[in-house]
Amino acid sequence: MTDTPAQQPASLFGPDSQFHRFFNDPRWALAVVRATVMEAAHPQIGAALIDNSSFVMHPWRRLRNTLVSLQRMFGPDEETRQREAARLNRLHARLSGTDARERPYDAMDPEVRAWVVATLFESSVTMCRLSGQPLDQATMEQLYAEFRAFLDVLTDRPDHLPPTLPEFWRYYDRVVEEELENTEALQIILYKLFDHLPAPPVLDGLPTVWAAGRALAGPLIGTITVASLPEPFRRRAGLPETPGAQVLMQSVYTAVGLSRFLPDGWLRTETLTNLLYLTPDSDDPQAAALTAVRDRMKQAGALFRLVAPLPEQRGPAEPGGGGAPRGSGEFFTAVLDQTGDGYLDWPDLASMAREVASRLDLDEPEETRLYNAYAAWWRELQSDLDSDGDGRISREEYVAAVPSLAGPALIRVAEVLFDVTDADGDQVIDAEEYRALFRTGFRRVVGGSGGSCSRSAFVKEFLSFMAGRQRSTAYDPLLTGA
Amino acid sequence: MTVEEAAPTAGGTRRGVPRHVACVMDGNGRWAAARSLPRTSGHQAAETTVIDVIEAARAAGVRWLSLYAFSTENWQRPSGEVDFLMRLVRRVVRKHAALLHARGIRCRFLGVADPRIPAPLARDFADLTTLTGTNRGMTLTVAFDHGGRRDIVEAARSLIRSGLPADAVDERHFAAHLPFPDTPDVDLVIRTSGEQRISNFMLWQVAYAEWIFPPVLWPDFRAPHFLECLHAYRRRDRRFGGVTPR
Repeated sequence: MTDTPAQQPASLFGPDSQFHRFFNDPRWALAVVRATVMEAAHPQIGAALIDNSSFVMHPWRRLRNTLVSLQRMFGPDEETRQREAARLNRLHARLSGTDARERPYDAMDPEVRAWVVATLFESSVTMCRLSGQPLDQATMEQLYAEFRAFLDVLTDRPDHLPPTLPEFWRYYDRVVEEELENTEALQIILYKLFDHLPAPPVLDGLPTVWAAGRALAGPLIGTITVASLPEPFRRRAGLPETPGAQVLMQSVYTAVGLSRFLPDGWLRTETLTNLLYLTPDSDDPQAAALTAVRDRMKQAGALFRLVAPLPEQRGPAEPGGGGAPRGSGEFFTAVLDQTGDGYLDWPDLASMAREVASRLDLDEPEETRLYNAYAAWWRELQSDLDSDGDGRISREEYVAAVPSLAGPALIRVAEVLFDVTDADGDQVIDAEEYRALFRTGFRRVVGGSGGSCSRSAFVKEFLSFMAGRQRSTAYDPLLTGA
Repeated sequence: MTVEEAAPTAGGTRRGVPRHVACVMDGNGRWAAARSLPRTSGHQAAETTVIDVIEAARAAGVRWLSLYAFSTENWQRPSGEVDFLMRLVRRVVRKHAALLHARGIRCRFLGVADPRIPAPLARDFADLTTLTGTNRGMTLTVAFDHGGRRDIVEAARSLIRSGLPADAVDERHFAAHLPFPDTPDVDLVIRTSGEQRISNFMLWQVAYAEWIFPPVLWPDFRAPHFLECLHAYRRRDRRFGGVTPR
């Protein structure tokens, strides 16, 4: 990494930027939720989210990808930024279609993209206001310039966000007044996402702890977010005015804001999301400490259960299944239906391709190859399994036809996946390449005796996961992880 | 692994405290019959002995203690007795869990594969294993629904699955596929009530074990008996097939 202090545009990004000040601010978590709600209220974005996003099923993965992306965009390195912008553009170019009312949406629409950046900026400013530490005019202007530069890197035309701050506020108010709607995506984020939020991978083994926390936090986050939305929008969208919600919202913002008195480095968004995203069994060095904490919690749980008074029950013996292969219905829900709408269609497979592409940080033409392989698989699935011809595959259709799943197109996916994972092209996946894809080192991979994995072993493992429905220490965290 | 654990057992000289002691808890039924009590009360009386022996072993410096609680063949007993045993074991596990943990004893359960084991009991086994998993004191292995042959068959299966070429298989590799491969060979087996059989118990691990058959029935077995057995073990020459060096 080279610092280029002489270069004027680069100085808007990097560690000294206003953006970086917020990035590790815990209030930002609230602000990002709010920004996402404001985004989802835009009809085009809402439709794109409903159709394509896997955030309901895999919110943690999505969150992490977003943060990594933002960090690259606002980081000091110009080259990384340009690459990330190109990647984001390719990603969004694949998202277009029509919504339920046949209105077209397109993630590349410049106005749409401007709105996304606008909500992030506005939510950051509002976050400061709500917690009683408003930004001064100069800081606000600098932050705005940074976000405008962000949009500038993404699109070649910066003029979709107004050049000055006063004009921005007029633009913002106009969109809120005229364009936002009470979309389905907004409803889902506000009222479904947090009530059903799956446990982050790290808490996966502790469902009770997670469910208890969520039952409290879910409605709380919903209420706080609604209360922080602009009043005109709340009125138009018919969102509830809960008594005391304003006070609650401001108290929470203020309380979270107090964390600025914590010593430096205690709260780092990056560390936090990485922690949440860790699979406890992975061999990442950070996982060790985390596993220790988790183990203590498990021990406490075990002790609690053991000393709790014994409810006298004589239930019949139940067969306990540990690592048994899952049923095809379960596989459908856990792996295939990435968007969680109960059907398997292209966005589900695209979401898998997207996850693999971002993990491996693929460039062109590999990324397109991967998507094409998934697309060919989708066509194969559609022609083989879609018996009622509605263009998508229901759970029932899938369960009825499972044996025919490992067709030539799926094998092709496995091969392409091998090719793109094999970054140095030496026809073996070495430990480092393996780690890039699965975020964990070699385990007991079939035939992986020498610390590497051959093409045939890799393809075999992939197929046995996708078709044989064998559980896999590697693919399960990749494709089912929330 | 402590230094003590790492010390080799092989040698053929007279030994101190055995590293790994296993008990076949035999004689509960006869104990009850001798008192005209139902067989189940014999099992009930065994609880005291179990706790006594665990405590004695720990105090004597035994690092590994294995107890044969229930064999794969025991399922053939009358269903009423099996049911009673399941409930009793569950009660005992829960009653002593905190104590075992406080004593720094690492507990684990060998076998426990049969679907007939009630789910709550299996849950308690798992909980006790989790709770005490990091303890560094004595390791207590309770063989429950255990069969030595079954373990060997399972190990063979896992060995084949691992794809190791046949010529590469040796004892060490094989042992690594047995359940709890960190368990050292058993040095001393105590089978109470005078019966002299192996009964399919930890077949692989008892290969070089010394056997002692005290006539006392398990419910009457107490810490002094246990120490007597340790003493008898110390007096024996263990040659592992060699000759005693002079």
